[in-house]
Amino acid sequence: MNRFNDNIDQLAAQDAAFAVAVKASAGGALTIEPARSGVPSARRSGRWIHSAYDPLREADTWADTHAPACREGETVVVAGVGLLYHIEALRKRVASEIAVAVLISDLDEFHDALVARPLGSWADDILWLSGPPVEIADRLSKTGRPLRCLSYAPATQSDSDFHSAFEQALRRSIARQAGGQLTIALVGPIYGGSLPIARYVRRALETLGHQVQWIDHSVHASSYEAMGALKDGRNRQLMQGRLAEVLSQWTLASLAESPPDLVLSLAQAPLTLPVLEHLRKKKLLTAMWFVENYRHLTYWQQMAPGYDFWFVFQRGACLDAFRQAGARQVSFLPMAADPELHCPLDLSDDERRTYGADVSFVGAGYPNRRRLFPALLRRPWSFKLWGNEWDGADELRSVLQLNGARIDTDTCMKVFNATAINLNVHSTTGAGLDPQADFVNPRTFELAACGAFQLVDFRSQLPEFFTERELVSFRNFDEIPGLVGQWLGDPAARQAMADAARTRVLGAHTYVHRMRDLLGQIGLSQPDRVGAVLRGDRQQEALLARCAGDAPLESLLKALPAGQRVELKDVAARIRSKGSTATLKREELMVLMLDEYRSETRDLL
Amino acid sequence: MPHEPSAARRDLLIQLARLGDLVQTLPAVEALQEVYPDRTLDVLCAAPLTAVLAGARHIGRVIPWDGAQWRAWADRWQDNPTHTLQAMQAYVAALAEMAYDRVYPLNQHVRSHLLTRLFSGRSLREDEQDHVEARIRPWAEYLRHIAPHRGNNRVHLADAWCGMSGVRPRGRAPLFQPPAVEFPDDLAPIGERKGLWVALVTGAGEADRCVPPATWSRWTKEFLSQADEGQVVLIGSGQERETGQAILESIPTLLQGRVWDATGRTTIPQLMKLLHKCRWVIGADTGPLHLGTLMGSRAIGFYFSHARVHETGPYGEGHWVYQYATQTRPDSWPIMESIALICGDQRQAAADWTLWRNRMDHWGTNFDDGSGQESVQCVRATVWRNLSPTLCESVAA
Repeated sequence: MNRFNDNIDQLAAQDAAFAVAVKASAGGALTIEPARSGVPSARRSGRWIHSAYDPLREADTWADTHAPACREGETVVVAGVGLLYHIEALRKRVASEIAVAVLISDLDEFHDALVARPLGSWADDILWLSGPPVEIADRLSKTGRPLRCLSYAPATQSDSDFHSAFEQALRRSIARQAGGQLTIALVGPIYGGSLPIARYVRRALETLGHQVQWIDHSVHASSYEAMGALKDGRNRQLMQGRLAEVLSQWTLASLAESPPDLVLSLAQAPLTLPVLEHLRKKKLLTAMWFVENYRHLTYWQQMAPGYDFWFVFQRGACLDAFRQAGARQVSFLPMAADPELHCPLDLSDDERRTYGADVSFVGAGYPNRRRLFPALLRRPWSFKLWGNEWDGADELRSVLQLNGARIDTDTCMKVFNATAINLNVHSTTGAGLDPQADFVNPRTFELAACGAFQLVDFRSQLPEFFTERELVSFRNFDEIPGLVGQWLGDPAARQAMADAARTRVLGAHTYVHRMRDLLGQIGLSQPDRVGAVLRGDRQQEALLARCAGDAPLESLLKALPAGQRVELKDVAARIRSKGSTATLKREELMVLMLDEYRSETRDLL
Repeated sequence: MPHEPSAARRDLLIQLARLGDLVQTLPAVEALQEVYPDRTLDVLCAAPLTAVLAGARHIGRVIPWDGAQWRAWADRWQDNPTHTLQAMQAYVAALAEMAYDRVYPLNQHVRSHLLTRLFSGRSLREDEQDHVEARIRPWAEYLRHIAPHRGNNRVHLADAWCGMSGVRPRGRAPLFQPPAVEFPDDLAPIGERKGLWVALVTGAGEADRCVPPATWSRWTKEFLSQADEGQVVLIGSGQERETGQAILESIPTLLQGRVWDATGRTTIPQLMKLLHKCRWVIGADTGPLHLGTLMGSRAIGFYFSHARVHETGPYGEGHWVYQYATQTRPDSWPIMESIALICGDQRQAAADWTLWRNRMDHWGTNFDDGSGQESVQCVRATVWRNLSPTLCESVAA
């Protein structure tokens, strides 16, 4: 026990309370066994956390991989404790100006580490972080230092919930503090369900103060559709594929006009793998929000290695599948609503008559809906069906509105607002309710944001987003008639529930929330790029503060508008605006020279 | 008695382009030195190429311009603008005094203009720099015009740079002495043994100017079969090591002893010495081909794609160029014909290729396909009279 007590004494010199807590813990989380090299190694729940042969060498390799990316002034946060070999190796490799912090998810594991190995002097320069993950994240983000998160994967698997909660809290904490302005190129699809979402994303990013370059491919939809009229399937596929390639190049040309900090694509955006690889070579960050069911649309399998960041609305197997397909970073990002559009409406009596009903459904005629909805006919309440792709559903013809025409968002909002009970049934190609109910569709959030009452088929994620006082769900379609009968008779309860759901969406489930999370995640992974911009490091005031006392540079920066982000190209543009015959100072000429080299590295085409 | 250049009166010539262009700048450098023997001429070039000029006589200083460092600063600017600016200032201050009487920017791009402004002296000397720029402008416009249109231009780029610098070509090509460097042991016999040594340039700066490795394999096999004393030295950068290896492996074992793979294994001074040891250098329009002419090798160029003999052919007397008929990729190569030139100086036509030989005169270098030269001389004289009338008066005189 001498070693353990010595270690505790060393810890106590840094943080007495933490040392007491570690001493009081029971230990026993790790099984210590000697490695072939003679030093202790460890297992947790039967799995090796360190090499059974040479843990020191393994730790050196891990540290060699990560140390070069760490920058002066950063705090490097390491997840995964084990026997601390990797922490020691990293601490010894990075400069003293870089702080190293270790997340202690389990005091028992840390206790075991202190029994097994002596802490050296390197441990005096480690910040040990224990407690609830949200509190740790809050503490870290308040330091104002750039954070770089590293994971020693073998030691994090047992506490994955802790680490996920920490990462989410940190992301949100950083996002809340974001003050800088990013330039984001938003690449939309040619057509389809992700097109309106791209528009909501655009509005959300602009609301957050970022500059959005909207690359709108929907203007090419008529050409794409015309090619769809080709009868020969091979020719149709060939031509539409070629158009997608041209549009991919078009995207590149658009990006070349003004290279952004981030290229954000929505599902179905026409960006090919070679173009994405080219963007990476040119050091442009790319992200994709894949707002589709990954089981239905599978082209992501080929595209996975192309994007730097993937965001998906499914978890579990979906995240694993993306990683296996080569995705570098994949994160969960659920759907949302846009309160500017999805909101309560004042409808006239006439509109209420046209768009209203006791029960309505808006959506396309997927096989499961075709099989289920006839059970809603011939009931004591009215039922209206809106949307397209219902050809051949003869039984439902009497309730199908507008002859099954595609309906626009305005009409959709009127239906939501005018209907007493909106039915929300997730689509599948099977006969009944979706058996793999692992995501929540946008419609759920949109209906809630409208203050419209809905009955939704149960989804495994639903309890995360809404309580039972905010949303009514069903697990079996047979429940519908009973639920409709119950809620139709109680308008006040319906209204209360709809109001609660709307409040919840406005507080947590808008596209603004989602974009904050998305940028927070990217900022966390890129502390010196997107992270620096989000922290406000590139605002004029921050730059002025950093060059205080340098008169020539101060005069260059002061000439630019206050309260705005300043890039090298902005300073150069200001100098160029003096005209080609102006006599320029030496530092002005150097800034222009520098900008020439900057534009060369971003020369995309 | 020769003049000693004055350290007090310094001029600067800027050439930021690649190896071939730097070599082709030397006629202008030598012409300036001849016309202004009492002035010191410094040359600013890309840092990795400064060794090329180490053997140049009478250049005051060779100033390295480190583009990679500037790219790194461009990336770093936002992290710390003050440090970046201070580092840039220190870098420029360490390069040279900031007040040249005259600056000759040969590259027509923004960086070159910025460097001119950065290094030009102020006040009293501004008039002088204005004169330099007035001389440069018509030539710069001419080069800008012929770049896309080509037409029947017969003024070589090296001579146009003389015109831009306000001097006439000297009528002879620069010739450097080999640097005093050692080869790696296994390359030491190059040029020492008796034989017909040929340096073969395996690559090219741009992919569309590369001769396929299979063509070079065939060329090497045919040459070694025909020339009993033939020795082939494969040259190229580190990027061409695989090409060099592929060529070497394609050669029959019995002939491999006469192929020397130096790709990626030489510094610039070693390459210069190696080229000096070879009687011939053969390749596409590439830097090493031009470097070979500087070191005294006779050159044979395969010019295709955007390469055009009259603008960038090897400079000097007695070099040959096969020019492909169109800008498309050649589907046949003048292999046997070029070997005949080397082995017996026999001029042979090749389908779809025109063979040109260069000569020197008072307008610089020009290429002749044997079809008569009067109209060509007239075109060149007209260009010079239009763009540099003052210089032409001195020629007439």
